[in-house]
Amino acid sequence: MQVSNTIDCNGLSPAPTLLRIMQALVGREDSTSPLNVLVGADCNCESLAVSLGPLAQDVQLASDAKQFAAVN
Amino acid sequence: MLEESSETSSPYASDPETPGFAFDPDDPWTQTFQEGLARADLKDKTVYEVGVGTGINVAFILQSCGARRVYGSDLDPRLVVLAERNIKILSPEHAKHFKPVHGSVSLVDTDEAREKIAKTDVVIACIPQVGEPSDERLTAFREAQSIELAEGAGDEAEDHIAHYYPWSLFDQYPYNSVGLGLNEALMRRIREHAPKAELVMNFGCRIGTEIICECFEANGYKPEKIASKIVLQHSGTDISFFVSLEKALNGTEYEKQLVCKFYGDPEGKRPLSATKAQEMINDDPNVPLYHEVAVIRGTPI
Repeated sequence: MQVSNTIDCNGLSPAPTLLRIMQALVGREDSTSPLNVLVGADCNCESLAVSLGPLAQDVQLASDAKQFAAVN
Repeated sequence: MLEESSETSSPYASDPETPGFAFDPDDPWTQTFQEGLARADLKDKTVYEVGVGTGINVAFILQSCGARRVYGSDLDPRLVVLAERNIKILSPEHAKHFKPVHGSVSLVDTDEAREKIAKTDVVIACIPQVGEPSDERLTAFREAQSIELAEGAGDEAEDHIAHYYPWSLFDQYPYNSVGLGLNEALMRRIREHAPKAELVMNFGCRIGTEIICECFEANGYKPEKIASKIVLQHSGTDISFFVSLEKALNGTEYEKQLVCKFYGDPEGKRPLSATKAQEMINDDPNVPLYHEVAVIRGTPI
């Protein structure tokens, strides 16, 4: 099953957010563009990126979906 | 004077019909759920049960909780027919107050189900919280954590759909990441079609009640735990999903935020992670392991 290039993690606490990102990255067929991850405004994106390790380079975190359009 | 033994304490005149494709009504999950239902103020309410199974809860709600009317549906169309039959056996005087939605109904995804949900005061459900072990993406995630499926975990029992849900199909729901995608999908549908209705849902709290309550809050419900019991882990239910969650978080700063909750004793005094529980199962597939089952009531915020 194809995974969407944008996933909604808004409202999730950090641990399930990290899991959701990892699960989405495993299921992707198109790995040429980053996975867009919509997070809450209070998300500590820096900390999340550290926990993602090398996977962080495949992910674009933003609290507003409009920011993705500006990047992709 | 008649003596009453604990084995004959059933309030019903006869036993329900329980074929292999139905969830066992004597399971402690059902006992816990009914403890919660008894505390859920259902008197004179209109209730909808998502996933009626054998109909044992419908009979309980009508006979012991004083509900005015109960609607009900199930993904397996055989079960609604079975439930109708069982309610006539268990509580014949209340049978006319059960209004089933026939056919295969996923959550409340038919016009008739939605029409009944709109007239409902309380929605009750005990639906799967473990992803289907053979799900393609779940398999990929499990393999990414170098976790093998336990022997026999891919076998399908007759009541398979009472234990697992198609995980990938519910990926649009954020809490699917911890196995709550099906439950979150139901919350959102109820919020849309019956915004004033309360939810009373039964959970196996292997991921902890905190994250389940978080899911309620994120979907606009104030959660309250109204019943809880430590029960034997169903020996046929695969736990590799929970092991995968723990392993994926290993070495990150969030690893202590989500530790699955199994127990080595029926009192719940010896907590075990899912990883430890799986090791014990691998050593002895018949080892008794336990987890909490809790009934959570969600009141619309």
